[in-house]
Amino acid sequence: MLPATGGFTAPSVDEMHLPPFFELGTFEFGKQMLLVLLSVVLIAGFFMWAIRRHALVPSKAQYLGESGYGFVRNHLGRDIIGEKEFRPYVPLLFTFFFFILVNNLFGSIPVLQLPTLSHAGSAYVLAGIAYVTWVFMGIKRHGLGGFMGKMTMPPDVPKALYVFLIPIEFLSNLIIRPVTHALRVFATMFAGHLALMVAASMTAYLLTNGGLLSIVSVGSTVLGIFIYFLEILIQVLQAYIFTLLFAVYVQGALQEGH
Amino acid sequence: MTGSLSAIGYGLAAIGGGIGVGLIFAAYMQSVARQPESQRVLQPMLFFGFAVVEALAILGFVLAFIS
Amino acid sequence: MTMLLAAEEGANPLLPNVWEMAITLIGFLILLFLVVKFVVPAFERVYQERTEAIEGGLAKAKAAQAEAAAARDEYNQQLESARLEAQKIREEARLEGEKILADFKDRANAESARITENAHRTIEAERSAAVVSLRNEVGTLATTLAAKIVGETLDDDARAARVVDRFLADLESEQQRNAGAAR
Repeated sequence: MLPATGGFTAPSVDEMHLPPFFELGTFEFGKQMLLVLLSVVLIAGFFMWAIRRHALVPSKAQYLGESGYGFVRNHLGRDIIGEKEFRPYVPLLFTFFFFILVNNLFGSIPVLQLPTLSHAGSAYVLAGIAYVTWVFMGIKRHGLGGFMGKMTMPPDVPKALYVFLIPIEFLSNLIIRPVTHALRVFATMFAGHLALMVAASMTAYLLTNGGLLSIVSVGSTVLGIFIYFLEILIQVLQAYIFTLLFAVYVQGALQEGH
Repeated sequence: MTGSLSAIGYGLAAIGGGIGVGLIFAAYMQSVARQPESQRVLQPMLFFGFAVVEALAILGFVLAFIS
Repeated sequence: MTMLLAAEEGANPLLPNVWEMAITLIGFLILLFLVVKFVVPAFERVYQERTEAIEGGLAKAKAAQAEAAAARDEYNQQLESARLEAQKIREEARLEGEKILADFKDRANAESARITENAHRTIEAERSAAVVSLRNEVGTLATTLAAKIVGETLDDDARAARVVDRFLADLESEQQRNAGAAR
């Protein structure tokens, strides 16, 4: 599959899956799992440490924690789900946002250098939790029939069109929606990480094999740095979009009317 | 030069999604610029539409691997 | 597919690793538990406390304002009553002063009258004494003088006294007449 003539080998997906640290039967404990657990410790540790004093006049750490919490609570929760019913969802939104944010940012931290969600399984789990939550809350609110009608039958449409619309809406709302929810964050992390690896290996190749080509390596280095900062932006943005979409889905499942 | 057609296919598929997402955000910005108070109503719709449109591009990504 | 897909032996990245999924699920649930149990209540509590502090502060400020207004009213009232009282006191003092002044004037008048009286009396007494002594001396002197002039002895005391008395009575009546004419 590789170019037969060229000497440059682009990094492949396999290089993202480092050998596991240890194995217990089929259980392979790898870097990705370690990072997941690390993120749990980091997030819980930071926020519980930041708020430990319950100060009315916050310290710097507490102010930072409060800004993060307030952002999720007010912007993602209250503004989208609605003033009346956002409170039960705040912990879930908060966990989603910071879990994804920290795990994504692992991709840009030297040494760690692996966005956890570039492994599809983690993204599936997160999107699965989100999916189960909003479908369950929707059914609880409207009943199974009401919820299905809400999801598959858009209002103000000629009756005849429902023949086409119901399957399309069902597919779009209940099947593609969770799949894309998971894949959006997975794909951006995966592709971004790969792009960064390609840029880095390009630089390495040009420098080591190059002679005159090593001058060109400046270009690939600049490209790599550019991609690095773009990645940071995308990592933050994807955490935001994932949580925001979850909030939008919840709001759509809860709202009255169509 | 060897490679996979699915990479090209995904690139082509992403064009559609890119244009769609661009149109959605352009419309959103225009309407918010005209009526700043409509932002709160429009924002969930914006991300909902964005998600739906981007779904196509993401499906393309999946199909590129499944091929 | 060199870029996206691994070589033949590479796993499809879309296929999840079950153990990764399990770890992610467990990790997420632990984090969610910690967030539900500790983080959110703590932050909400701080929010609540802050809101209460602000609202309490506003209420306190309002109360303080009301209190200040009440105090000002009371102060004004007190000031007004104090002013009235002061006026009353001033009025009283003025009256008192006038009374005292009048009193003193009366007393002074009485005193001066008394002193004048005393003086008059003293003068009168001294005049009387002077008149008596003058009468004696003038009598003797005049008798002696008259005896010398008349050459007649006025040894006869009774006669001499009679003469002097008559003379003095004449003198007195004349004096009175003069005084009546001058008046």
